[in-house]
Amino acid sequence: MISSYLTLAAVLFVIGLYGALSKKNAVIVLLCIELMLNAVNLNLIAFAKFGINPSLKGQIFSLFNITIAAAEAAVGIAILIALYRNKATANVTEMNSLKK
Amino acid sequence: MRLQLSDLIYLSPELTLVIAAVVISVLDLVLPNKINRTILGWLSILSLMISAGFVLYYMRLLNLSEDPLLPVELLNLSYRVDDFANLFKLIFLVGTIFVLFMSIGSIKKEEIQHRGEYYYLFLPATLGAMIMASSGDLITLYVGLELLSITSYILVGIKKSSVKSNEASFKYVVIGGIASAFILYGMSFLYGMTGSTNLTEINQALQLSDGSFALLIYVSFFLIIAGLGTKIAAAPFHAWAADVYQGAATPVTAYLATVSKAAGFAMIFRLVYLVYLGVGGQQQDPIFLDFFMIILIIAASAMIIGNTLALKQRNMKRLLAYSGVANAGYLLVPIGIGLHSPVPHSSNFSEMYFYLIAYLFMNLGAFAVLMAIERTTGNSELKGFAGLYYRAPFTAFAFVIILLSLAGLPVTGGFIGKVFILLGALQVKVYWIAIIMILTSVISFYYYFSVIRQMFMRTNFEASTDKLNLTTPISITIWISTAITVLLGFFPNYVISYVHEIFNLFTDFLML
Repeated sequence: MISSYLTLAAVLFVIGLYGALSKKNAVIVLLCIELMLNAVNLNLIAFAKFGINPSLKGQIFSLFNITIAAAEAAVGIAILIALYRNKATANVTEMNSLKK
Repeated sequence: MRLQLSDLIYLSPELTLVIAAVVISVLDLVLPNKINRTILGWLSILSLMISAGFVLYYMRLLNLSEDPLLPVELLNLSYRVDDFANLFKLIFLVGTIFVLFMSIGSIKKEEIQHRGEYYYLFLPATLGAMIMASSGDLITLYVGLELLSITSYILVGIKKSSVKSNEASFKYVVIGGIASAFILYGMSFLYGMTGSTNLTEINQALQLSDGSFALLIYVSFFLIIAGLGTKIAAAPFHAWAADVYQGAATPVTAYLATVSKAAGFAMIFRLVYLVYLGVGGQQQDPIFLDFFMIILIIAASAMIIGNTLALKQRNMKRLLAYSGVANAGYLLVPIGIGLHSPVPHSSNFSEMYFYLIAYLFMNLGAFAVLMAIERTTGNSELKGFAGLYYRAPFTAFAFVIILLSLAGLPVTGGFIGKVFILLGALQVKVYWIAIIMILTSVISFYYYFSVIRQMFMRTNFEASTDKLNLTTPISITIWISTAITVLLGFFPNYVISYVHEIFNLFTDFLML
């Protein structure tokens, strides 16, 4: 039972990582990071229900994660808006003004 | 165990910062625009000083010769007030005080429009670092880490109208978010294997478990060390550092290089020595010895990559970023040499702590000088240092001492710190890491001395013939940093013996 949940979480995590590293649109990159964080939540909930030591702590941990992920997404989008105002692009390949 | 009202006094250093952050942000809102926001900077410094006072008070209570206070554990062991945490909190608070102090009167109004926000955002960031140092539980550890990270994303992007600052900030959010996800994924496996989020309980459960979890233990360690390696900018997880440091305002860069990095080390130390030490101890080759090896490999690659990449930098901030990568490598060595060897070795913490103090003041001094140069030339290029000796001989002299300390030449704090780390590595007979450390330090002479050469040899400087634009806080920061760097070089035994006296890895930390 638990292995299928863990596999799903691992697949979501890897899809998120792939997207965060390869997508060009900055909004998609932020979404993919959310996907990675939510994969972790799935993992925690699965362990909290079907793990060797089922306990409420996993669910509480995931509640904290949801809150923090929301804060992080808000800050990320705010920074992206500030960047878009100055540069009028949301394409990550064009964010290359910092070079040696 | 519930949190009693009377327990709150043990949280007074943290609560001071919480209250100050709330009060100062409200003040920023209600004060009319014509009032200079510098007053908020002074208030932030004041609250940090009060908090440091409380930390010192509890440090004294914990170490009274008769009837000392036992390490306080709150909220079902998830929050500890012990010597380890207090020593780290002092580094964070002192570092933040100096970062704020050198910004006062020095940051430009046209660059940072919201100076009130700039000043009080350092308080929650430092609060996050303090929570990281004090945590005994995965949840509090992660909350502290994110409080520090999210606040520093905002601080990096605080120059709202600058494209470079926006871009650095966005890169930091993306890399920081991915690193957090990695740490969290590793933590979820720790929870899954043991059913607990408490660090000591996880350790006990892992020590008792049979070999069937070995693979998952490895996975959790790799994920956590990759994430934390990113946070402390150790190679091969360092790629963000140069860009973010270059785009951020210089005091914020100083904050990232010192306080934020030190907080990462506090977290790594807690996780490695509380969670992973002794895991798989019943077998022939315990698993945790591999973990120490991995940390040493990361340390070695950080030293090699950081020092080599710094060679070709033409921008002082990027140079200091790569020097920070190399220093993260030096600081990982005491963690990675571990405790288990033919010779008993338990001074890992004091070795790391001493170098952390030296590193803090070297970097504060270097970034303060860089701020003065930036105020004069408008950028942080290396050629802005040309002929500094002829323009400002005293500042140049102080900067030479700081650079010598960064390079690790006697008699400075950086030299003594490196010698302690080196002796520790030799004591447990890990010779290869000691050799890499010496060789990469020699490489680092080249780029530190190229800065010194700029200051003394170049007289036909095209950059600027203006007088150096120093402000009083910047000069004071430079001179205090220089003085402490020299004092640490001449009298290291005071710090070392004090740390030894109050902190014992076995009794205070591992609770054996």
